[in-house]
Amino acid sequence: MNTLIYTSVLGFGLMVLEVLKLRKWISPAIILGLSLIFGINIHDWNQPGSYMGNMLEISNFTVAFNALAIFITLLIAMLASEYYSDEEHHISDYMAIMTFVLCGAQMMLGYANLVLFFIGIETLSISLYALSGSKRFDAKSNEAGFKYFLMGSFASGFLLFGIALMYGATQSFDLNKLAEYAMGTSVSPLFLTGLLLVLFALFFKVSAAPFHFWAPDVYEGAPSIITAFMSTLVKVVGFAAFYKFLHVFGYLIPVKFDWLITLVAILSLVTGNLSALAQENFKRLMAYSGISHAGYLLIGLVGAAAFPSSAILYYGLGYSLSTIGAFAIAMAVFKSTGSESISAFNGLGKKNPVLAACLTATMLGLAGIPPFAGFFGKFYIFSEAIQNGHFYLVLVGILSSMIGIYYYMKVVIAMYAKPANETKIEISLTNQLVMWLCLVLVLLIGIMPSLVTGLF
Amino acid sequence: MESTIVFYLLSALSVISALFVVFSRSPIYSVLSLIVCFFTIAGHYIMLNAQFLAIIHIIVYAGAIMVLMLFTVMLLNLNKELGTHKFNLTKLMAVITGGLMFLVIIASVKSSSLANYQAPAYLNIGNAEDIGMKLFTDYLLPFEISSVLFVSAMISAVLLAKKEVK
Amino acid sequence: MEIILFKAILVLVLFLISLGIAAYSTYAERKVAAFLQDRIGPDRAGPFGLLQPIADGVKMFLKEEIIPNHSNRWLFILGPCIFMLTALMTSAVIPWGMPLEFNGTKYALQVADINIGILYIMGVLSVGVYGIMIGGWASNNKYALLGAIRGSSQMISYELAMGMSIISILLISDGSLSLSHIVESQKGMNWNVFYQPLGFLIFLICAFAEANRTPFDLPESESELIGGYHTEYSSMKLGLFLFAEYINMFISSTVISCLYFGGYQFPGLEYLSAHLPANLVSVISIGALFTKVFFFIFFFMWVRWTIPRFRYDQLMRLGWQVLLPLSIANMLITGGVITFFNL
Repeated sequence: MNTLIYTSVLGFGLMVLEVLKLRKWISPAIILGLSLIFGINIHDWNQPGSYMGNMLEISNFTVAFNALAIFITLLIAMLASEYYSDEEHHISDYMAIMTFVLCGAQMMLGYANLVLFFIGIETLSISLYALSGSKRFDAKSNEAGFKYFLMGSFASGFLLFGIALMYGATQSFDLNKLAEYAMGTSVSPLFLTGLLLVLFALFFKVSAAPFHFWAPDVYEGAPSIITAFMSTLVKVVGFAAFYKFLHVFGYLIPVKFDWLITLVAILSLVTGNLSALAQENFKRLMAYSGISHAGYLLIGLVGAAAFPSSAILYYGLGYSLSTIGAFAIAMAVFKSTGSESISAFNGLGKKNPVLAACLTATMLGLAGIPPFAGFFGKFYIFSEAIQNGHFYLVLVGILSSMIGIYYYMKVVIAMYAKPANETKIEISLTNQLVMWLCLVLVLLIGIMPSLVTGLF
Repeated sequence: MESTIVFYLLSALSVISALFVVFSRSPIYSVLSLIVCFFTIAGHYIMLNAQFLAIIHIIVYAGAIMVLMLFTVMLLNLNKELGTHKFNLTKLMAVITGGLMFLVIIASVKSSSLANYQAPAYLNIGNAEDIGMKLFTDYLLPFEISSVLFVSAMISAVLLAKKEVK
Repeated sequence: MEIILFKAILVLVLFLISLGIAAYSTYAERKVAAFLQDRIGPDRAGPFGLLQPIADGVKMFLKEEIIPNHSNRWLFILGPCIFMLTALMTSAVIPWGMPLEFNGTKYALQVADINIGILYIMGVLSVGVYGIMIGGWASNNKYALLGAIRGSSQMISYELAMGMSIISILLISDGSLSLSHIVESQKGMNWNVFYQPLGFLIFLICAFAEANRTPFDLPESESELIGGYHTEYSSMKLGLFLFAEYINMFISSTVISCLYFGGYQFPGLEYLSAHLPANLVSVISIGALFTKVFFFIFFFMWVRWTIPRFRYDQLMRLGWQVLLPLSIANMLITGGVITFFNL
């Protein structure tokens, strides 16, 4: 509860700083503020409770994912302070909106009532629509913002309609009451339809196939920093919210939606990995990689043994850190070369071996090669799924991760095997710091997974 | 009896005007029929004794949002009839998916019985006072936190629309 | 049954009164203008020119009706109709006086005492924009479109400040949204204007803007837009627009009187109702309301012939940067005072 309050206060505070003409304090303020909020959040560990008439529920699950979300935002804010350094007069807007995205994320993580869930998802989405369209004089960014907005509105419509149907059947928005109803003997078909619609909206938000069509265009058109933000925070938070939702209903209701999620998982894996093969643009590649990672996480949701399962947290952490690390390097490369295609990385191995090595490490992490966190993430998810008898699903997962290795290697090959061009690659200190931080953490939790898996 | 007639009348109007929104080729007629649709929905609220919601619905949707829509349509001068209604693949797929969705909802409504449905015991839903009480007690957190949503949307709008300072 | 009959008669009477007052407002406007400009004004038709509005009406009806070729025919007709309709609709929730009594039954002089009276007025106001917009757009004329857009954006902008100042009234009058309650809570000289002077000022300015009256008559500023949104209109459709504007002025004056000046209440009403027959008191109270209304109609005209027109950016700045913050501050202060002094 406190986390949410302080995060909103931080967002408003950033705007006050702008009003007071303290522009250069904005970046330090958001970094300091998020660090403090991280601490406040950790303070809630092992202190479960529900707040405001069971609107918001704080459990260890919430605290852990909150911590992850705050940490992602912190890293992104550090990158953003560098990325937006030439756009001084807008920096408070960007930073404040990012903080509000985090607010929405925290609502989605802690909801115990569908009303709060909806407001959370809207806060998150509406802020991101604007952020992805924020390069105003770039047609691609405009397209991204608009596409995301239109598609997102549809998804919100589905979500709202689903919630309305569920309310119609049960006369309550409260998750506990809804779960009670779902466990009862007579479940109204209206309730199931509503549940289905909410699932669709959630599939959309985490960009799982076949609800993924917006993702590549939006990821490509949005400013790189926002792409990094979307592909990490939104995905992880979306999955956490999804997980919480499923855990309340999915495993309890008579007609199970397992088959549906299984189907979507397989589709995401196949579509994401196969489409990624043909991509020449790095951000599009990351978009399709994001879709395939949604597939893996969906396997985790289907096969999760108990709530809360640390496998999903672990996977989310590994995925986010690798992605942010990759983007920290990629953004420097994009800025120096002025191109966002994979060929921009040509010859990086000769020009800047350290950067190339780090990018290779993050790519290997995403592909799931030991000793990086990506490998153990997949390992835990697969083993839980096998324990629950989803053998074929795991088979598809393993096959597609093999395909995955191929296209992640494309970047690596470009760096080492392709001839270098003249452009010098410069990377700022902030980006280096974020890069090293991500890399060290990915290695650390890769070598000692129990740091995360032992949490719950 | 009268209320049933009114209900069916209003529902027919809502459905017809909503269909007209979709099928009208001229954007301005779409917008106008959407306004009619909002009014009929406000009528439904009144039938449910929720006058406050009805009037807020009219003020917010018909009075503010649709005026902005109308602005856009008028300023873009979308006077001409747009969109050739060709029958292509996208449309076919849209019809199929939409139709399936429609079927699912019809089926679920049809097969759910209203026999064990209980009207909420709380009958004064329409009052401004009662809505205020609900908002400031049970739904305090969503009510307050939605200010974050609105502020964020406002900053976003300013961010996207502000004149660039050179 | 009798109550329905009574309400039907009341609606009819209100309709006629609105039209009559609108008609004679045109006459009054010209007379006031003449007075302020040291002229005589209309004096040919009847004694003191009293038949002038009728002559004007006849002229309106007899003029040729022109629908421009390039206009959108249906919307062109729909525009003035909506404008007129919304102008007439507002009077439904206004309490016009003490109840009348026939055969021992009391009949309230209010068509509908709904518990959302004020919001109803706001709703009707916000819908009134469509008349202007549709009419202006359907004319297919640049001046008309500009006038329509000016008019509607002005009305939307000033509605906000108006709504905010209404909230302060709700705070001090037991929180009921019903107009009859608000009027009853201002017994004697306990008028809201004494507690809400700033709110009254804001509301008054907004009422001017909502009614498109000078100094905010930019939608139809003849020197730059010819006639604004009704440039292309002629005959009775033009008449509808003009009439509706005067009805709006009348209704605005009534709402101001009800919200801030006690409506039909006046000091000594209680004494009178204890000693005089109910119907007589009712008539006196109606008279009290109409005295206030006429004063405000006069005030509208007085301002029109005294204050020059605003520029459009000034108008928008006044609405968004002055009135809106002021009305919010007014609301907060009112709420604060009520909370801290436990009123």
